[in-house]
Amino acid sequence: MSAPAAPAPPAPLQVEEPDLDESLVTDRPWLVIVWNDPVNLMSYVVYVFQKLFGYSREKATRLMLEVHHDGKAVVSDGNREKAEADVARLHAHGLWATMEHSS
Amino acid sequence: MTARFTRRDDGTLDLTLDQAEADLIRALPDQLLAVYQGDRDDPARQRLFPRAYLDPTEEEAENQWEDLVHPDLLTDRVAALDTLRDAIDQAEPARRGLVVVHIDADQADRWLSVLNDARLALGTRIGVTEDTDLSQLDSRDPDAAPKAAYAWLTYLQGELVETLLG
Repeated sequence: MSAPAAPAPPAPLQVEEPDLDESLVTDRPWLVIVWNDPVNLMSYVVYVFQKLFGYSREKATRLMLEVHHDGKAVVSDGNREKAEADVARLHAHGLWATMEHSS
Repeated sequence: MTARFTRRDDGTLDLTLDQAEADLIRALPDQLLAVYQGDRDDPARQRLFPRAYLDPTEEEAENQWEDLVHPDLLTDRVAALDTLRDAIDQAEPARRGLVVVHIDADQADRWLSVLNDARLALGTRIGVTEDTDLSQLDSRDPDAAPKAAYAWLTYLQGELVETLLG
């Protein structure tokens, strides 16, 4: 894939870097991502999204199709602890899930 | 294929199988246990216990997360294997050599998990891709048996999901 060259970002202002500990950086949520894989059944993925996250059939189906067509989808977000728990629950159901900091 | 699910009035499920199908399911717990407890570099095991963090700078968080959740994930998976093994062992004989396996509502999710794990492990071994077509199996294919098992498990899991969603 290609994309037009992005404009140069504005020069950053010189600011004093405060000491941030983990608890203060959690404003930037963690994203839980489910990746497409050739084994998991589409109907099963919908079932798991509904069961784990309480999503409606429509929302669960939309997310499943996003995974299927785009290769991945963000299925939940939150602080590190919530994201780690969601990833573990998805792994327990055999879905290929990872987490990353939103940019 | 013989296998089919029927829902009883009390919400529990009956799974009717022929003996070959029952034997295939009965073999899954031992096969999966060997994967769960096997080599960490086994691609099938890695697929069943994937990383949470892709970012290599999060290695410490990854290790802490694995130490925290993998024992529980393993315990739940082994419990699900026990559920399947017990259910098959308690199957009731039916007409024409068939057997009927009774599945409680709270056991159905464990069945789904085991069938899915079996398909993930088999699918990794036989290299399933989006383009894999298992509708025409060549008996000379050395992977014919695991491919046939994978195709049947796919059918069975699909039937179970449809029954639960229905």
